[in-house]
Amino acid sequence: MPFTAKPRTFNAAINETVLGTGAKAVTLGGQNVLPLYFFDNTPKNAPAVGIEITDTGYDATGLPALAAFYDGAATPAERAKKAASAEGVSFVCLRFEGADPGGLNKSIADCVAVAKDVLNAIDVPLVVAGCKNIEKDAELFSAVAEVCQGKNVLFLSAREEDYKTVGASVGLAYGQKVGAESAVDINLAKQLNVVMTQLGVSAQSIVMNLGAAAAGYGFEYVASTLDRVKAAALEQNDTMLQMPVMTPVSVETWSVKEAIMAEADMPEWGSQEERGIRMETVTASACLASGAESVILRHPASVKTIAAMIAALL
Amino acid sequence: MRLFDRAFTGSDEMFALAEAAVTKTIDKLGADAPVAFGSTAYFLPCIYAYTGRKITKLSELKDVLEPVKGWLTRNYRLNDVFTSGIATVLAAEIIEACKYAENPTPYEEKYHGHMTDAEVRELGVPLVTQDIPGFVVIIDEAPTDAQAQVLIKGYQSRGIFVFLLKGAIDQAERCGIKMGFPVRIVPVGPGIEAVSHIISVVVRAAFIFGNVQPGDWEGFNKYSFERIFAFVNAFGPLENITVGCGAGAIAMGFPVITNDTVDVDVVPKSLIIQTNIDDLIETSLEARDIKIKVSNIDLPVACASAFEGEIIRKADMFCEADGSRKDCFELVRTKELHEVEDHKIELIGQDFDAMEVGCKINLAIIIDIAGKNMQSDFEPVFERKIHNYVNCLEGVMHTGQRDLIRIRVSKSSFEAGFRVKHFGELLYAKMKNDFSQVVDKCQVTLVTEPELVTKLRKEANEIYDKRDARLRSLTDESVECFYTCTLCQSFSPSHVCIVTPERLGLCGAVSWLDAKSTNELQPSGPCQVVTKTKVIDEAKGAYEDVNEAVSTYSHGALDKVTLYSIMEDPMTSCGCFECICGIEPMSNGVIIVNREYAGSTPLGMTFAELASMTGGGVQTPGFMGHGRHFIASKKFMKAEGGIARIVWMPKALKDSVAERLNISAKELYGIDNFTDRIADESISEDPDTLMAYLSEKGHPALEMEPMM
Repeated sequence: MPFTAKPRTFNAAINETVLGTGAKAVTLGGQNVLPLYFFDNTPKNAPAVGIEITDTGYDATGLPALAAFYDGAATPAERAKKAASAEGVSFVCLRFEGADPGGLNKSIADCVAVAKDVLNAIDVPLVVAGCKNIEKDAELFSAVAEVCQGKNVLFLSAREEDYKTVGASVGLAYGQKVGAESAVDINLAKQLNVVMTQLGVSAQSIVMNLGAAAAGYGFEYVASTLDRVKAAALEQNDTMLQMPVMTPVSVETWSVKEAIMAEADMPEWGSQEERGIRMETVTASACLASGAESVILRHPASVKTIAAMIAALL
Repeated sequence: MRLFDRAFTGSDEMFALAEAAVTKTIDKLGADAPVAFGSTAYFLPCIYAYTGRKITKLSELKDVLEPVKGWLTRNYRLNDVFTSGIATVLAAEIIEACKYAENPTPYEEKYHGHMTDAEVRELGVPLVTQDIPGFVVIIDEAPTDAQAQVLIKGYQSRGIFVFLLKGAIDQAERCGIKMGFPVRIVPVGPGIEAVSHIISVVVRAAFIFGNVQPGDWEGFNKYSFERIFAFVNAFGPLENITVGCGAGAIAMGFPVITNDTVDVDVVPKSLIIQTNIDDLIETSLEARDIKIKVSNIDLPVACASAFEGEIIRKADMFCEADGSRKDCFELVRTKELHEVEDHKIELIGQDFDAMEVGCKINLAIIIDIAGKNMQSDFEPVFERKIHNYVNCLEGVMHTGQRDLIRIRVSKSSFEAGFRVKHFGELLYAKMKNDFSQVVDKCQVTLVTEPELVTKLRKEANEIYDKRDARLRSLTDESVECFYTCTLCQSFSPSHVCIVTPERLGLCGAVSWLDAKSTNELQPSGPCQVVTKTKVIDEAKGAYEDVNEAVSTYSHGALDKVTLYSIMEDPMTSCGCFECICGIEPMSNGVIIVNREYAGSTPLGMTFAELASMTGGGVQTPGFMGHGRHFIASKKFMKAEGGIARIVWMPKALKDSVAERLNISAKELYGIDNFTDRIADESISEDPDTLMAYLSEKGHPALEMEPMM
């Protein structure tokens, strides 16, 4: 008996959220099938891969390929330009590591200047990530959102503690996109979406950041949460969970021992850079398979691999 | 003159001024001359908002006079006052627009005039987040300069943004008050028509933050009423034109509070007379439902969760309030709004300074709470938080509750300046901030006077007794709804607790009252209302509404549960259950084992082994996790015959529930000392000796229908 495929499409779909403007704008979401089930229905928009740079630059010790890639790029804008040119990149994520009051504590004015330069240097959409300090991020996001008006920049992220400030400034006053970050829990994610929309931020302007973990570091929680969010969004038509998901993979994977242990200290593990890339690609592919609409990666080699994987599945 | 007439007369005056201003300006500049406030994308914002017209030149400004006049209706209905009020504001904007048409900077330096879109965003974000709790428009002069100073400083210290109009500006200047956008005191303009610049901020906030569309009259009034926490303080004698503008403010949801009593009729929540200027701030905040967050707690020692587990040894102790030795208690009471003076901290009796090191003191902590959403059911929930709050103080230890508290204050904290009133400061701030949805006003009374504490303790005991009686009278039948609890879903994804008065959450930590207050305090949080109107089977506790809730909140993992059956669709468990109840086939009964019990049970399994088949949000008929408190409930596996099925419990558990369980058994079956018939580990750990004991004692389960 011949095999007859029975495509499973849902009457509900993931929201479409546009990042950036012009020819290279990226639309996240839109599909009405389970993650990567493209054999059930061609998705309206393919999952997007972003590349992460920081305002301070990476310490590329032990990562010769990464160092070579950014060789000669001295400023964040120059690094952004190189990053945007990497194969498979859909958007650039600028992480303000230097803004952290516990670290370099760069001034808001300096950060705004960097954001402006980066925005002017690239033609792909920009995602801005903060330094994880609640007060500083709120101030930073508001100031950067003001100078980026009309550019559809996504800010990562509004959290339970600061969603009002970030939602009101970034989402309402300056009309940008807001990341809603919660700690790997479907109910917290939904609650944050509910209160953000009650604040007045439109559901179409919200992208969820449900949190992440490197593969092997409690990733089961991430997978199960993503699974359940997609099930609720598609099977139960839960409009408060239909926002597309963006998972910042790189910050997780480049801080675990597999990625940071020098080859000299652990020769039997082989090349440090190879390990880091594998950690990043493995985690990213698992996130996409579980339900992320986009991932943020650091290494151009990882970006290339994941973009190729997506293209092969389409 | 009646109030309506004053408002109408004022509106007409403003309109006449607007007409004259337009005519005069057109004569001077020509009908094609441009008109704009500058630095705004919203044209003449009030007119754009309420009429949808994009006015850019004087001829268009002239055309708008007609619709504005059309709103000056005179049918002596409330609605006429409101539309006239809005029309007055629009007329005021027309006058202001004429000034700006003639001169892009019509105001001398001390007045601010039009506010830019950037300023609206700057003010709008903290208004939306309520970092600025609201704003006040002060019109004309307070009776004395000193009163004006206290008033403005009072608003400023509460974070309220202040706009000044007319005489209020000169008065503030005389008082030497620093003004300007950065210090949040803005002198808008010398004439009442400058009020339109303030309304212009409001409508642009609605455009920017509320996405309200131009011309949507209702939309703007709704947005300002629901989201902009503004109010007006207008000092008498009020001019009619001010009354006309006031009608506009009221139409937008902003109450007007005045000290003028001549021809002013009080309209509750809208037009309020307060002749005592000292009370003006409180009256105003209450009228607009503005709650001020406490940002700085005045404490000489640190307060953080790091100190929560700190133990104060006797040698380090300065003094001790020990409820088992001396009369002490802590109590939260619900009061009416007028009975509570917000932030009043009162100490009756001696302070620590008059006490000797190492002494035992009497201490009563009484917290009075008033609020429109406050319910007496929340009292025990708030009261239980006192323990957490006080424990977080550096060098202070707190255990127990009600009249069995024990509080120790360390020598070092005393030396750092900690005194009795600081309990009040801490508890006031915490209650106001953590429960801001329901706590409008809060005062704390601290009593160390021994005789008074003894007297008050008796009164407190009556309140505790009443609460206990209320808890006992709370049955699943007597309430209108149950609540979900999904707190545990982060690690048990498909589990949902249905919390009822007689069946608390299986962790034992969430009672129906807890769930109810959680729902009130966190409306989109883990505890959601579950109605119970569609009964399927009352005996089993099966409801369609409950099934729908379970299906929704388990995200489809479960589609039905019964509340009172262990065999048919029993409620699932996350993993944090206090107890597990499991079927014991030989006796036709069930055994219950608590988490603390490490030994084996007559089922041949330990708690941990039973837990592995009960948790994880799956339904396992015959096994169920539950809270300790549920054991004595008349609803406990009611569908299978109730508590008469219990044949075995660890001794410690049996002892802890014996009193209530025996009462329930007496009421349900007329059995005295029912727990004597229940076996424990000292009697049996295997089915055969269990059966022998049950037969000897004539346990009722042996006579019951088989469960399977």
